[in-house]
Amino acid sequence: MPESKTDSVRLTIDGIPVTVPKGTLVIEAARRVGVMIPHFCYHPKLKPDANCRMCLVEVEKMPKLQTSCSTVATEGMAVRTATTVVNDAHKSVLEFILANHPLDCPVCDQGGRCDLQDFSHQYTATASRFVETKRIFQKEYFSPLIETQMNRCVQCLRCVRYCDEVMDVKALAPAGRGTMTEIKTFGTHELDCEFCGGCVQICPVGAITSRLSMYEYRPWMLKRADTVCQFCGDGCQITVQTKDNELIEVNSEYGAGRNSGDLCARGFFGFRATGHPDRLTKPLIRRNGALVETTWEEALEYTAQQIARIKNAHGAQAFGGLISGRCTNEELYLFQKFMRLAIGTNNLDSSARYGHMNGVQAMRRVQGTHRWTLSFEEIVQADVLLLVGTNVTETNPITGLKVKEAVKKRQARLFTIESIRPAIGTISNITNLVDQHVCALPTQFGGAVLALLKAVVESRLVDQRLQHESPDYVGAVTQALERLSWPELEAATGAARDTFVQMATGLAQGRRVVVLAGQELLRSAGGYGSCLLLLDLLLLTGKLTEPGCGFAPLAEENNDQGAVESGAVAELLPGGLDLANPEARARIARAWKADLPLAAGATLVEMIDRARSGLVKGMLIVGENPVGSLPTVVGAKEALQRLEFLVCQELFLTETASLAHVVLPAASSLEKAGTFTNQEGHVQAVRPAVDPIGESRPDWEILSALSVLLGTPLEYGDAKELLKEIRGVIPGYGLLGPAPIPPKVDRAAVERYLAGDYRRALAARYTLAGPADAAGGTTHLGLFQSLFHSGKLSTRSKGLLQIEAQAALRINPADAARLALADGDRVRLSNRRGEVTTTVKVLERVPEGSAWFPDHFGQDTAKLFECAIDPDTNVPAFRTASVSIAKIS
Amino acid sequence: MTKLKAWFKTIIFYEILVGMKATLSHLLHYKPITLQYPHEKRALPDNYRGMLALLRYDDGTEKCVGCDLCEAACPSRVIRVVSAEVPGEPTKRYSKEYYMDMTRCLFCGMCVDACPVDALGMTREFEWAVYDKRQLHLNKEQLLAIGDRSFPVREKRLELQHPNVAFFNVSFGHVPQKPN
Ligand code: SF4
Ligand code: SF4
Ligand code: SF4
Ligand code: SF4
Ligand code: SF4
Ligand code: FES
Repeated sequence: MPESKTDSVRLTIDGIPVTVPKGTLVIEAARRVGVMIPHFCYHPKLKPDANCRMCLVEVEKMPKLQTSCSTVATEGMAVRTATTVVNDAHKSVLEFILANHPLDCPVCDQGGRCDLQDFSHQYTATASRFVETKRIFQKEYFSPLIETQMNRCVQCLRCVRYCDEVMDVKALAPAGRGTMTEIKTFGTHELDCEFCGGCVQICPVGAITSRLSMYEYRPWMLKRADTVCQFCGDGCQITVQTKDNELIEVNSEYGAGRNSGDLCARGFFGFRATGHPDRLTKPLIRRNGALVETTWEEALEYTAQQIARIKNAHGAQAFGGLISGRCTNEELYLFQKFMRLAIGTNNLDSSARYGHMNGVQAMRRVQGTHRWTLSFEEIVQADVLLLVGTNVTETNPITGLKVKEAVKKRQARLFTIESIRPAIGTISNITNLVDQHVCALPTQFGGAVLALLKAVVESRLVDQRLQHESPDYVGAVTQALERLSWPELEAATGAARDTFVQMATGLAQGRRVVVLAGQELLRSAGGYGSCLLLLDLLLLTGKLTEPGCGFAPLAEENNDQGAVESGAVAELLPGGLDLANPEARARIARAWKADLPLAAGATLVEMIDRARSGLVKGMLIVGENPVGSLPTVVGAKEALQRLEFLVCQELFLTETASLAHVVLPAASSLEKAGTFTNQEGHVQAVRPAVDPIGESRPDWEILSALSVLLGTPLEYGDAKELLKEIRGVIPGYGLLGPAPIPPKVDRAAVERYLAGDYRRALAARYTLAGPADAAGGTTHLGLFQSLFHSGKLSTRSKGLLQIEAQAALRINPADAARLALADGDRVRLSNRRGEVTTTVKVLERVPEGSAWFPDHFGQDTAKLFECAIDPDTNVPAFRTASVSIAKIS
Repeated sequence: MTKLKAWFKTIIFYEILVGMKATLSHLLHYKPITLQYPHEKRALPDNYRGMLALLRYDDGTEKCVGCDLCEAACPSRVIRVVSAEVPGEPTKRYSKEYYMDMTRCLFCGMCVDACPVDALGMTREFEWAVYDKRQLHLNKEQLLAIGDRSFPVREKRLELQHPNVAFFNVSFGHVPQKPN
């Protein structure tokens, strides 16, 4: 609460004095002193609309009753909420609403948690004075996942306003007048939107409900578990509601978690993926070439025996391990400890290697942290935002909401370098909100950042102090930029110099500048270099060390950040310590009371290569699917087939698991306890909502059991004990507060960078990338993340499959017209490496000359891509290729 | 005087005589009142609360809409309702499964009171002694059968159930079934 008198006002609510900040609404002031004023259309996330008249109160000296949801509290105001006049007003408003309400609470899924029910119990007589026939709306099919029953609507328009103000989707609209107002989709088609479930959550009555869990429950039967979404790095807090050990629905309360109650389609409708009938319920073992069910005892003993055999015969380096960034911190930590102690090798990696490592390593190098130096709050409060390759609506929807809030509510300036065209579509498009937008191919994101840097230098926007203190650095960068010419840059990025100058000026003028780097940048060739360029940009404009400013690489998998921090990557130890640093090694060795293996470990693709060449003979893969994820050229399948022993811990029999000698059924994150670290570095508790399916067990239990059989017992009573150990190794880790405490930029690291470290591979990153792929073809094909899927897990979710059931190639209308293609047509994609056929979907937001393919379904397209390994971070980049498209008639 | 009266009453056991009056009068005018059950049966009062049953409308459709309110109302957790969308009748709700564990029922009638569509009834059946307790665990078919034999006169089915209810649990053919 503000201190100074001018910032706050005092008023009384029913005689109770309260001091609130200026601008607070009366309804909010009342809530502070525990007075609940009934309301429908008011919601703290939305602008006041005052259309339902439910919240009327008496204010002294005002002649009429006032709507407390739109009246701002003023000094000395005396509000009364429970006088006879007010009560009568509430009663008559309710009587009017109920005059048309079908009173079908018994079959309504909202029954039991419905505002209208609650207020009716409080205020209304049991008989109505209305004898007129009630309104009946024509029932229209709304959507496979969202059900509407408009007869129940109280016309508060919360749904419409949420969809517009918060989501920026604008899929809903009121149609008709007065009591005949009905909420409909725009146009005559069924609902086609982001399916965030926001309208379901915000509707105070049962007019909009989830069709996915329709009629399966009554609210009072549900048992809730507050846990964290398993789908992306935003780390939304979700409340999983179960009935008799069955997943019924997911929601999120206003104010809960980092997402403050907002969710995306994956979080809201994707929860049933883990209950899919294909889930592995028993350990499998390979006998006579086929995987057959077995007992845990046999599977574990055989696994331990094989690991020991390989270790004895070929040494620990002949073993490698991979883990998914969807496991909990406890599991990631135990996995790397298991690999380093029980097996004795640093050959271990996690899915953070697919891209997140690029951002982490860049941050480590320039600012000396392995985390963001900011949090979602800084994004919301930013006054200038730069988004590079984020496709934020689809990859990190909640981060997208924070950006939208900053732009729409707080008038931040938004600059984007994205491979998206501004266009009105069925889902929101962040480039519709921009100040300046560069629509470049993912291969040229680096080029666009270079152009931006050039504009900064040429427009003399370089921070004076930096120029003074580190003339060498500024000089070297300026020199490197001089070698690039504007025509070249303009040709590569497709944007005019003026655009970059405008952006550069905006960035330099901003006081709270936040740069977001998304998956498309992090996972592209040269992603590490581009991250460094973005950090250079912040340094040059003097923003890097300013409060409220910073660089934020977005994580794709929910615990990519946790994987890095738990040390589940070859080159890092827990806490982001460098494996090569003897001091750091000694610290961990002290904590573990055991020596660490010295030899540098192999990373993801190196391990695959070593498996092919026979150097690595055995592998432990936990939840990762390199065969399904990496392009065909990497040859993961052939390499893993050559292994003498492959053991997988999996939920489903994936492409990788089906090659294994032993498959151990693992529990999903809805079935176990632990913690996840979101991309902000916020550690959040994961709680079990249901029991593990079949005989599946949490990954950490499996690893622990194996370690015992291998004679290096790493035993823990529960996940909490593991977290305790992690806290011992990484002081203060995961204090589970309501918000993260971001680290500060390490000045020493910045000075080290400015003093000379910047020179390392400077020329390489200050070079314009050539045309990426010469595989023949004119269309730029990019793998992209769909809003409705995440990895491969979501393709097992009934709900999400209702929205997007199969892969379709997204192309621009102009390209479609040129090739005479329409939605649903079959096309052949081909280049030198191969060809595949697929169907087409025409989307306006796809840039001309580009085509997007979702990265979640069958892996046919895997053969079209080349794989480039980053020399510094070993990140494999394989998400772009050039192809030709031809129609198949 | 009053003291004397009290003393007199004490020595003749006056209170006991008053208490025994009914017994003594029956002793004198003896008339057997034992019913020769099962050959003879007692006339049940109109509000007798016997075995529970599920009811149907006149067209044979089940009344129950699967609202789970009876389950919520039952003080001894007798009832379990599994509700769902009616197959072939999109958006209509019914109880896919309905169980009553009659070993626990205390025949309070709260469930009947709670039911918004009068789908539950209390019959006049009481002869439910069984050798195996499990036979008192009844499913929907059994409960409907009890209703069928106890309530031959059925309520007429109305699309509009109540003058003040516009629309209640109606199915819409043009809407696809919910995804499964
Ligand atoms: S689910 Fe669709 S209609 Fe509802 S708020 Fe979200 S985007 Fe809008
Ligand atoms: S559908 Fe719900 S949220 Fe939307 S106007 Fe009606 S009552 Fe309000
Ligand atoms: S997928 Fe990401 S944005 Fe969506 S609910 Fe889950 S954590 Fe939140
Ligand atoms: S009569 Fe009473 S105890 Fe028996 S089922 Fe109904 S509510 Fe339960
Ligand atoms: S209260 Fe009536 S309609 Fe509801 S579930 Fe019970 S029997 Fe069925
Ligand atoms: S809540 Fe104030 S008018 Fe609706």
